[in-house]
Amino acid sequence: MLVLSRRAGESVVIGDDVTISVLEVRGDVVRIGIDAPRSVAVHRAELLAQLEQSNKEAASPSTNAVDSLLEALRSRNGSADS
Amino acid sequence: MIATMHRPTRSVMQEIPVIELVQPMPGFPDLARFALVQVDDAGVLCSLTSLDQPGLRFLVVPPAAFFPDYTPEVEEAVLSELGSESVDDLVVLCVLTAGESLATTTANLAAPVVVDTANHRAVQVVLDDPALSVATPLIA
Repeated sequence: MLVLSRRAGESVVIGDDVTISVLEVRGDVVRIGIDAPRSVAVHRAELLAQLEQSNKEAASPSTNAVDSLLEALRSRNGSADS
Repeated sequence: MIATMHRPTRSVMQEIPVIELVQPMPGFPDLARFALVQVDDAGVLCSLTSLDQPGLRFLVVPPAAFFPDYTPEVEEAVLSELGSESVDDLVVLCVLTAGESLATTTANLAAPVVVDTANHRAVQVVLDDPALSVATPLIA
């Protein structure tokens, strides 16, 4: 891992078209700005980790779970409000 | 009339059996080809069933039936990634995590799967909106 020290207002350039700027440092919070082409996905790491976890939990539900879900949806659609 | 674009309708699920993910779903890096299968008679519950890994599938629903106020904003970049010609071709589906009951079943509103019904390509879009959860109760 490359480790750099930067001050607020300074930037790092990655490749030809990605620039990361340190906008503000206040206490333990660093605000950074990312300038990248739209084709480059930029996400908070914890959100991606959450999504990965959620997908794994969602994958391949048991037949029982699907059956009871189907049954519940059917009775939900069958009654106007319950 | 192969080039004719059709409008997405409720029955569109039956018309697009095989879709290709242009980006893998996070957590499943090697899977690109899925069949979109209708699970219930009403066409509300569907599944994305992997064609690469037998037995793997995700339950998905069109969110409108459960979350009428949910209107995810899809960026221009997603359209170009999918090679979409028109937003009218796009259908949004939410991945369900089936619980013991309907009450504990959750939907992923933070990362809907956007399917282009014209070219059969899809991607799970990560919406960077703190108000949206990957585990929203299906029934409030």
